[in-house]
Amino acid sequence: MAFDAFQKRKERQLLWLLLPALVPLLILTIYPALYAVYLSMTNEALTGVAAAKPRFVGAANYLRLFSDGRFWNSLFVTFVFVVGSAIIGQFVLGFISAMALRRKIVGAPVFGAAILLPNAAPEVVAGFMWISMLAGGDHATLSKILVFFGLPYVDWLQTFPLFMVVMVNTWRGIGTAMILLTAGLAAVPAEVYEAARMDGANPRQMFMRITLPLMAPTIFLYMLISTVSTISVFGLVYALTRGGPGNKTEVISVYIYNQSFAAFQIGYGAAGAVVALVVSLALGIAYVRSLKVEV
Amino acid sequence: MAGISEKRSGAYTLLAYVTLIVISIFCVLPFVWMALASIDSNVQLFLKWPDSVTFDHYTKVFAEENGVRWFANSLFTVLSATFIVMVVAGLGGYALSRSKAWWKQPFLYAILLIRVLPSTALLVPLYKILLTANNGIGTVLRPLVGEHYRFVMQLFGFIDGYLGLIIVLATGQLPLALWIMKVFFDGVPKDYEEAAILDGATLVQRIRRVLIPLALPGLAAAGLFAFMSAWGDFLLPLILLSSPELQTLPIGLFRAFLRVNEIDYGLLAALATIYLIPAVIAFSFARRFLVQTFSGGVKG
Repeated sequence: MAFDAFQKRKERQLLWLLLPALVPLLILTIYPALYAVYLSMTNEALTGVAAAKPRFVGAANYLRLFSDGRFWNSLFVTFVFVVGSAIIGQFVLGFISAMALRRKIVGAPVFGAAILLPNAAPEVVAGFMWISMLAGGDHATLSKILVFFGLPYVDWLQTFPLFMVVMVNTWRGIGTAMILLTAGLAAVPAEVYEAARMDGANPRQMFMRITLPLMAPTIFLYMLISTVSTISVFGLVYALTRGGPGNKTEVISVYIYNQSFAAFQIGYGAAGAVVALVVSLALGIAYVRSLKVEV
Repeated sequence: MAGISEKRSGAYTLLAYVTLIVISIFCVLPFVWMALASIDSNVQLFLKWPDSVTFDHYTKVFAEENGVRWFANSLFTVLSATFIVMVVAGLGGYALSRSKAWWKQPFLYAILLIRVLPSTALLVPLYKILLTANNGIGTVLRPLVGEHYRFVMQLFGFIDGYLGLIIVLATGQLPLALWIMKVFFDGVPKDYEEAAILDGATLVQRIRRVLIPLALPGLAAAGLFAFMSAWGDFLLPLILLSSPELQTLPIGLFRAFLRVNEIDYGLLAALATIYLIPAVIAFSFARRFLVQTFSGGVKG
């Protein structure tokens, strides 16, 4: 009985300690998420008549959204962006780097640091550096390299805007993929490889039959994490292209931003935001379930 | 037999070197351009060795632009947010680790899910909430401070004020920090606290004398990640700040870059380098904690 009372008091104390974290999270993340759902059903705007007297409009914003070619375009661009940079680019190059660094490599820490460096760069710095590398026609570094090999130069951000955005985001995430996959590779017991070598397996077979299957859970988790975090990328794309030229690089987060803060249509922008929230939450729930978090 | 497999292994090692060199060059090249451009007296858009080394661009950032102000604003807001995160997540992470109550599991799931919400999607409602709070605090403060109203609101306002940016920045870093601290305290044996309880120490004494010293490594990791993420954040200052006196480095850099007709690449490179350096320093310290944050957190 006395123990029970003690336990209860202790739990109450702990709740007090959690309160300073709980309150801002409720007010500044959970409530805005719910509020976004409400806003998406109004004609709220930053300027004009609707700003003074917002009305409830039901599903009108969603109907408009789903018939808006620019919205579908942003979903398509986001899809290409995620698959191209997170699923393919970062993963493949990160995996290759992790595999290569498993060998006895002279200067391995230097390579590791070099590959991780882009990860440390703030989004705006990354955008600025790459504009300098890509813009400027025949003056751009990447063009100079092409010209050096006798190829014609290209105005990269005008000709292949989406591909360039994918490449820059790939560049930014190789390091994290490498670190995570290195940890996964280290968890594969060395005896398994030893046994396979005894049986005369070649490196290709060992990779296909041992490394990949044993790494599958790590890879799956990595894909979920990077998909979710890539969907929310804003600053990098905005600093690099601001969604242009045309809407060729307008990922969903830039679309929401443009609708809400450039066109001032808050209610309509919120409908786009809700779509992004639902997709991210669904992926997040899949992530939490597959993680089987021990809490 | 052994000869062939050795030769093959050598070929693979060579391949590994080539791959690593190519990927490393790809990763580092933009930084090399930026560093060289920032000290080149004749800046070009393409990568080249400086004609002659000059520090004029750096001087210009501080003398002609508001570089000092931007840097100070960034440092002040980000460090304040980091400090808040460390205190709040330290307490909360301890509670999450030690509690056996019903709310523990839902709360932990909730903070993992909060991390996946795209910040652009929360921004509009967040802005409206802050605007309401800002009007509220403005109504209270206006009669109190009189003619200093504008200045006071720059300090304590939620829109276009330090306080709002700091609180929102801190809240954004809380979920990962809470997770790091929870996992950290899970690894700290309860014996110390129990001994302190037996000695009759109060909760506050236990926190000050026992838990804070024990928690320092965890707090360092949580603080580093909070600092890096808040330092790199571009969206929040872009939306929340409009006064020139409040601008932070990412916005200063972005705006300088938008002046299309007179882009000064040397100046921009110097500014970007200044902005980059604290991030790289923090990252080099945080690197060894990187893997742990993946297991429970979401990539930041």
